[in-house]
Amino acid sequence: MNSSTLIFVILLLALFSYWFAIQRAIKIAGGITKVKHLTSLPKQFGLLTAFWCGIPSLIILLVWGIFESSVIDSFLISSLAGPVDNLSSDQLSLYLNDIKVMAEQPIMQISNDPEQQSLSQAVNYLVTLQSNAAWLKSALILLISVTSVSYILSRFTPEYQSRVKMEGIVGGVLWACSGIALLTTVGIILSVLFESIQFFSAVPPWEFLFGTEWSPQIAMRSDQVAGSGAFGAVPLFVGTLLITAIAMFLAVPVGLMIAIYLSQYASAKLRGIAKPMLEILAGVPTVVYGFFAALTVAPLIRDFGGWLGLSVASESALAAGLVMGIMIIPFVSSLSDDAISAVPDSLKEGSLGLGATPSETIKKVLLPAAIPGIVGAILLALSRAIGETMIVVMAAGMAANLTANPLESVTTVTVQIVTLLTGDQEFDSPKTLAAFALGLMLFVTTLILNIIALKVVRKYREQYD
Amino acid sequence: MVDISSSESLLSEDTKINGTVGNCFADDAKMSMRNVNVFYGDKQAINNISLDLARNQVTALIGPSGCGKSTFLRCMNRMNDTISICRVEGEFKLDDEDIYTKKMDPVLLRARVGMVFQKPNPFPKSIYENVAYGPKIHGLASNKAELDEIVITSLQKAGLFNEVKDRLDESGTSLSGGQQQRLCIARSIAVSPEVILMDEPASALDPIATAVIEELIDELKEKYTIAIVTHSMQQAARISQTTAYFHMGQLVEMGSTSQIFTNPTHKLTENYITGRFG
Repeated sequence: MNSSTLIFVILLLALFSYWFAIQRAIKIAGGITKVKHLTSLPKQFGLLTAFWCGIPSLIILLVWGIFESSVIDSFLISSLAGPVDNLSSDQLSLYLNDIKVMAEQPIMQISNDPEQQSLSQAVNYLVTLQSNAAWLKSALILLISVTSVSYILSRFTPEYQSRVKMEGIVGGVLWACSGIALLTTVGIILSVLFESIQFFSAVPPWEFLFGTEWSPQIAMRSDQVAGSGAFGAVPLFVGTLLITAIAMFLAVPVGLMIAIYLSQYASAKLRGIAKPMLEILAGVPTVVYGFFAALTVAPLIRDFGGWLGLSVASESALAAGLVMGIMIIPFVSSLSDDAISAVPDSLKEGSLGLGATPSETIKKVLLPAAIPGIVGAILLALSRAIGETMIVVMAAGMAANLTANPLESVTTVTVQIVTLLTGDQEFDSPKTLAAFALGLMLFVTTLILNIIALKVVRKYREQYD
Repeated sequence: MVDISSSESLLSEDTKINGTVGNCFADDAKMSMRNVNVFYGDKQAINNISLDLARNQVTALIGPSGCGKSTFLRCMNRMNDTISICRVEGEFKLDDEDIYTKKMDPVLLRARVGMVFQKPNPFPKSIYENVAYGPKIHGLASNKAELDEIVITSLQKAGLFNEVKDRLDESGTSLSGGQQQRLCIARSIAVSPEVILMDEPASALDPIATAVIEELIDELKEKYTIAIVTHSMQQAARISQTTAYFHMGQLVEMGSTSQIFTNPTHKLTENYITGRFG
């Protein structure tokens, strides 16, 4: 049986043991009418048994799957003894691969060549190993299922605390789910970290962090002219900062004022229409924003700049920043609106009742009380802006200019990650590894932002019952 | 206790309110309201009520829940303006000045007619800032020393100063419920209002804190005109000079507190104050 059939069988067994345990529980209680004397419901006995049937065997199956191939490999290698002794590890893995391919396509003519002969022996051995392993696996898993079900059934008494045990298992399942999120994060961090370390062994960290020239093209052959391979990330950081700053300068004031208008001045009817419409803005795919920026906003800015007598690149940081600002307005406005609306009415009335005007009330009471939520909204918008890629690719260009002039073309960290990793690439050249280093920088930046946000929120959080 | 059938018969008397009995007008009125109707959308919450608040007296508004007494109170400093579906008709006068004209700025009105709410609602700021909030907004103090003076006297008048004098910079929300409510009273005193409206100011407090607040209200009437909504009849009897009994959006009976509580004229009033209804 292969693993998917096995999983299906386990699930069937679990279903059967669910039903069987219910019958058993009713029998222990002494009939359907006396079920109320049990400490737990029959259903809970059933679920507990189903869990006992499924969980241990699935875990063993998983562990088996993780170790199966390496265990088989080591058996295979030890059987090969003679011919592979003087192979390097790369050659050995190639040789093993050959054997595995042949094992899966057994149609082949065996010549009398001694090397071929030993290969075909190895193939036969592998096939035996694999079928044995499959048998062993099925038998073991089924044995575990049946044993654990019969063990749990043997423990059933009317006083048996199925419900408590069930709760324990449910808690464990929930714990495992949060573990998945945590493990994924740790995994991503580790992989980015290791690749970055590899990158930093090729390119010194100070050159990456403080170098002012970014030109990641590396000559593949010695006679190639392309690229010097400079990995100074400063132009990227500056570009990211510039575009993010433009976006935030637009989005924070506009978003906050929208939030204030919606929460304090707009009629309920207008609010009911305007808020969902604003949220549609957040639902527009960033690609669409991207070509809006590149085809509409950027030429507009260029022409307007020309009218003012300024020279504006056709792909400018300003265009990308403005469109990005529009994109993140709903993040600021919607979350700030929620934060302001969540301030208790009693505070608002208290202030109005003292003769404060609505705007004084907003400035002095509502906004300070809503600060934690507003800071959260702004930081969410900020991390969206930093991580945004499509708009910048289309509207701001790829040229890594080190400039603070918003009218020039700049590029950002995310855009460079995309360009470094798209297309055919060697995965151990500094060029591709640089993408991981950039990713690490982005990660560190967002982490720092989040820590600051938490501090701010904690500092300003007020208890209003 | 009454059984359900008799309370139903009491309810059927609701329709038989024919105008207000007793005396709802004062010789020396600080505020006078005439023919007031209030609507929330289509629903009428106040039905043709006229009454006066006598100067430097405490007027208690009592009645069962939903009878319109809080609504009426909130109309007296135009707090109901903040509710968009609320419509107010009738005449409201503060010292012979109509408060519902275009000329009257509700913001300035609320500085003259202060309000204390049912639930203590100190701002999440320091005790000092809570009291200084109103004077700062209205520019009542020209320098820090004057502001300090206003804050301290307000806290003294509210009977809170001795308890908080060493921690004026602590958050107002860190005080106990009774202290918070006295802080809110100090806060409204600080803008020197002429009238203070209190919407069940002691209903969220324990008996000891309630007694302190009641004593305070009794002292405050020397300087201010006070209207208080309360569900506690003992409280109304203890602190007010005049009592108005509201029922289903109508003013059933109004008169001196001693008369209302010892010898009510209307059957509904009698039922309510003897605890048979409400």
